[in-house]
Amino acid sequence: MIEGYQPKIIGFLCNWCGYAGADLAGTSRITYPANIRVIRVPCSGRVDPLLVLKSFQRGADGVLIAGCHPGECHYVEGNYYTRRRFALFHPFLEYLGIEKERFRVEWVSASEGKKFSKLVSSFTEELAKLGPRREA
Amino acid sequence: MQEGLDLMPQIRDKARELLTSGAVDCVIGYERASDGLTARPLFAYEPNDVDKLIFDQTCAHNLARFLVNKRDSTVAIVAKPCDSRAINLLLAEKQIQRERVYVIGVVCPGIVEATWGQIGDKLQARCQLCREHTPLVYDFLVGEPPAEEPPAEPYHDVAEMEAKSAAEKHSFWAEQFARCIRCYACRQACPGCYCTECFAEQLDPLWVGIRIAPMENEVWHIIRAFHLAGRCIACNECERVCPVNIPLSLLNRKLEKDVLELFGFRSGLSAEAVPPLATFKKEERLGMSE
Repeated sequence: MIEGYQPKIIGFLCNWCGYAGADLAGTSRITYPANIRVIRVPCSGRVDPLLVLKSFQRGADGVLIAGCHPGECHYVEGNYYTRRRFALFHPFLEYLGIEKERFRVEWVSASEGKKFSKLVSSFTEELAKLGPRREA
Repeated sequence: MQEGLDLMPQIRDKARELLTSGAVDCVIGYERASDGLTARPLFAYEPNDVDKLIFDQTCAHNLARFLVNKRDSTVAIVAKPCDSRAINLLLAEKQIQRERVYVIGVVCPGIVEATWGQIGDKLQARCQLCREHTPLVYDFLVGEPPAEEPPAEPYHDVAEMEAKSAAEKHSFWAEQFARCIRCYACRQACPGCYCTECFAEQLDPLWVGIRIAPMENEVWHIIRAFHLAGRCIACNECERVCPVNIPLSLLNRKLEKDVLELFGFRSGLSAEAVPPLATFKKEERLGMSE
């Protein structure tokens, strides 16, 4: 591990679950690493693979997408598309040389502040172990 | 090399019949290019044009590429099996109407490697892996379908690539993408790339910047391939037309392999198929947590 290295995580959080979960962590005073930069999206289904790729290109060490649990999407079925899209995109990123540990799709409900906090902590730790990305 | 030549009279007769009767406005087929060896697309509008039509192992182009531009008229098209999958794709995606396309399907002997003024005797890589030698959609079939299609395990090169380390993969693709001059020939040749405004041409947000930089090439290639995920019909025209020989099939076929493994889907096999990323199953997990 490199001394003093702080990984940068871009988090695409869905307005209704992931973001609300992060908000709950905040209001409940549950701490989590400040390594995550949160971008609120209306639905995890809004996240275009372009956004993930661009995040990596512009210096993200890891990208997190947090949406509602399958079956609980605010828009009924948005996250089912997310699941298919990124189940396919994730191995593709790996194929292109971006380690699979650098990308995560997780389901975090509005009541799971604790889960969100643990998630960001474990993701940050893992990325710190992995070290910075190679320059493109 | 001469294989397939005997199909020519049948194609010409059919084309003449269709044009004379007025059943179609245009027949899209192949003619001899001006080097006298390779083939190029031919748009035959008059019955007199049909004598230029040819079909042999140099007819590489995927003519289905032109169907979207011709969707306001009735056309006949000479289609190899891979091209026929592209026709199915366009039908499934409601880009063309079945009753406005007359498909002259040809049983394909495989297309040979060729460059301007030079024809090899080796089949193209994609033809060596081909699983369909008979068109999947046609109104008129030319040629004798083979009794049995060969079983295929066509992903050994993809598996080799997958086995490499992240650093190796990264430097391999960086090297490949660095050569790209972003002429977008890969897009122009692709029957699946029919968006009227491609993401590469959008200015706000500017996804693919106009500067010459590896990063801009990378975003183009990765997203181009992903936009064809579950849609690519493996005609490999993108790779054939690439002036700097970027192994695009290695990208396309990785996605093809994963789509097959994850969703059990191969594109272009039917005109009713829904692209796998445009649908879902509630109960599937796809390797993700609950």
